[in-house]
Amino acid sequence: MEKTQIGLYLCRCHGEIGQTIDLDRLAKAMGNKKGVSVCRIHPAWCSEAGLAVLREDVEEGRVNRVVLAACSPREKEIIFRQAAESAGLNPCLIERCNLREQCAWPHREEPEAAYRKAVNLINMSLARARQAEPLDPLVFPARKAVLVVGAGIAGLSAALDLAAAGVEVTVVEKEAFAGGKVARFYRYFPRFCPPGCGLEYLMAEIRKNPRITIYTLTEVVGLDGGPGNFQVMLRQRPRFVRTEACTACGKCAEVCPAERPQAGPLPVTKKAIYIPEGFAYPLAYALDKEVCRGENCGLCAEACPAHAIDLKAKEREFSLEAGAILWCTGWQPYDAGRLELFGYGRYANVITSLEFEHLALQCGSASGRLLRPADGSPVRRIAFIQCAGSRDVNHLPYCSQVCCTVTLKQVQYVRKLAPEAESYVFYMDLRSTGEYEEMYRRVQEEGMAIFIRGNPAAVEEDPASGCLTILAEDTLAGEPVRLENIDLVVLAIGMRPEPGPESFIENLATWEFPSGHVQCFPFETQRRGLYVAGCAQGPMDVAGTVRSAAGAAMKAMSVISGNFTLPPAVPVVDKNKCDKCKRCMEECPFGAWSWDETQYPAPDLRKCRQCGICEGGCPLGVISLRNFTIKQLTGMIEALDMEFLGRGEPTVVAFLCINDAYPAADLAGRQGLSFPPNILTIPVPCAGAVNMSVVVEALTAGADGVLVGGCPSDQCHYRKGSDLAETRLNNVRETLERMLVEPERVRLVRLQADDRHLFVMEAKRFVAALRALGPSPLKP
Amino acid sequence: MPPKVNLEKCDGCKAEQEPLCEQICPGDLMTLNPETKKAYCRSLRDCWDCMSCVKSCPQGAIETRLPYQIGYYQAKLIPLMGTNRITWTCIDLNGKVERFSFKTRND
Repeated sequence: MEKTQIGLYLCRCHGEIGQTIDLDRLAKAMGNKKGVSVCRIHPAWCSEAGLAVLREDVEEGRVNRVVLAACSPREKEIIFRQAAESAGLNPCLIERCNLREQCAWPHREEPEAAYRKAVNLINMSLARARQAEPLDPLVFPARKAVLVVGAGIAGLSAALDLAAAGVEVTVVEKEAFAGGKVARFYRYFPRFCPPGCGLEYLMAEIRKNPRITIYTLTEVVGLDGGPGNFQVMLRQRPRFVRTEACTACGKCAEVCPAERPQAGPLPVTKKAIYIPEGFAYPLAYALDKEVCRGENCGLCAEACPAHAIDLKAKEREFSLEAGAILWCTGWQPYDAGRLELFGYGRYANVITSLEFEHLALQCGSASGRLLRPADGSPVRRIAFIQCAGSRDVNHLPYCSQVCCTVTLKQVQYVRKLAPEAESYVFYMDLRSTGEYEEMYRRVQEEGMAIFIRGNPAAVEEDPASGCLTILAEDTLAGEPVRLENIDLVVLAIGMRPEPGPESFIENLATWEFPSGHVQCFPFETQRRGLYVAGCAQGPMDVAGTVRSAAGAAMKAMSVISGNFTLPPAVPVVDKNKCDKCKRCMEECPFGAWSWDETQYPAPDLRKCRQCGICEGGCPLGVISLRNFTIKQLTGMIEALDMEFLGRGEPTVVAFLCINDAYPAADLAGRQGLSFPPNILTIPVPCAGAVNMSVVVEALTAGADGVLVGGCPSDQCHYRKGSDLAETRLNNVRETLERMLVEPERVRLVRLQADDRHLFVMEAKRFVAALRALGPSPLKP
Repeated sequence: MPPKVNLEKCDGCKAEQEPLCEQICPGDLMTLNPETKKAYCRSLRDCWDCMSCVKSCPQGAIETRLPYQIGYYQAKLIPLMGTNRITWTCIDLNGKVERFSFKTRND
């Protein structure tokens, strides 16, 4: 290995640093440190002139590592990276030392303290730079192909977007026909167009596009690999009808003797061999094996003029490779059978809002009149019950966002299909968001429904007439309401995710829908390269679903367009010391760890988000992110002068999360807020990346206190990093207490990126507390 | 005196087959209680007080009591492991505290 030659570059930053810190004195003191070959001062290293000097030093071979004592590592990274690369230096060998935001700016009033702190900060950076390795980004070849799971409106529109971008798209659909729930709607809001129209348009485009393949009756049964090249195992159930031969003439259904039993309150007249009445893709019959009488019957096969029916067809399994996966499995209605007080399942005229869609579709296309499901008599009085099983801790605790607008839409169906009928809407709060407020106004202005604020207590049926009575309290009028002779009750039920993804994606979210960090990574799941879209992500309307699909398609593009590249800071295990305790596997929030062929834990680099929670959790400290190693951290701590502000002044080592706490400290400096110079910060990828042996090392090396800065519990980008840090720190505190060392010397603060005042307050309070406690008993 | 496991802090190394204390114990005395999934010392009188388990426990859940010849139960000897350093805190039965710090690794 070549000799370490560190170039130490001190930046005046046009006086921003130079006015506070005496850089000439600093250069004299630091210039002859071990390994430093060049020490220069410049008014601004980021300027053309500065970069030229820097490049020349590298090119002439005077310098093979760079320590830039200048602004925060969060600033101007690209400029220095490009300069280094153009001179032939690996960008990982640039070490940034934050002299501006966290030294010169906050300590303007105390130049001597700022100077001493600068010495310590540079010592830390030099220690880190001595052990820095040149690293290159990890590149994985990516297949320009995407698997879309679910051929509902989300899956189909994402497929079309992706194919337009030149991607090979495979769509798999569990059901026999594409279109999902939307295909069975009567109309969708706000324009009241028939969903068939939107789907037909999508399908027409998809049929034309040779890049899209759709498999129906197909489910994902296995998933392996990672972003760039997933291997997906698929299982296709037989349709028993060859789609390419079937002409959808319907002769098979005419002779089919097997009828489907009635499942819900709505009559079904479907035979075992069937095709949807409206939108149907593929335009070919499908045979339901559950209902079919089997091969012995065979009437349909005889009747088929195209010989398209093959009753011996078998299930088949096949696999394919995809660069990314979109999970568009959609939603399920909440089980209305659990809403006993509304009589669903007991009374034939109580139906869900989804069933009302089917009813309206049937009635709308057949007679044009709204008829009761029980006896086919015309509907004269209809009641809608909002939030049926929603916003209720015993059922769905959340609001499904669309049910109110759905009811406003369905009230208009009633006006269209049964103009004489009266509609009543029982609601808790009517939530017609955005432009849907217009629908609410229209329904009110045209008197399409009477709104009663109150959640009904019971629905009762008169067995003779099948009419229903609703008991409720009108909470606006403050009086009980008894509504009799209701022909139809529609329960506006909420949305739940379609079950299934649990086996492939562990839910990252705080509710049942598997979405990632709700603002930062809404499409992401625990598996990198697998994105959720549409109602699989959360309840949303059709417009939202199409938007979500476009967003998720873009996410997929980011993985598969070109090679999939990751930063090089991946975890490495020292196998000589690892004793296979599996804690890394347990604690990794992304399930990246598994056994390698030598039976040692190894991370799947494509799943790994490089948060370092494994490094923080390893009891033996044998896992390290590259260029953020425990050895480097130890070296940085050992390089510190723990009494740099004089006897009696505490020294604090602060590990700050680069996502939130470190920017908060930077912001404090930028805004000229002053905090005690006692605090020496080390940026870490996540609070969870701080190994407790490093914390102990800092304490036993003479630090008076250790501060760990993480995010608020539910805001951690890595799910649980700051919570893990808290648990681990509490264990250390407890041990310290037994050792008669004040546990307050170790502290976790939870900061958001703009909490500069909180940071300053916490820093002041911590330093004051340490001052009161006196020097640490663990000081050597 | 043998190790005592703080059952609230011990997480059985996540119910692994061999928790760290079991791996490290030279007398093979530490093991998991199959029911509670917490560690315990299965033969108290065979323990040599080497304190390897105390040092290895990632949760800081194990404590050893000193033999009565050295100190009664108020007395304590507690190790604290850094990356390159171990610090021992010795508290005698009068509450007198002494600390010793050693470098453990020179790489």
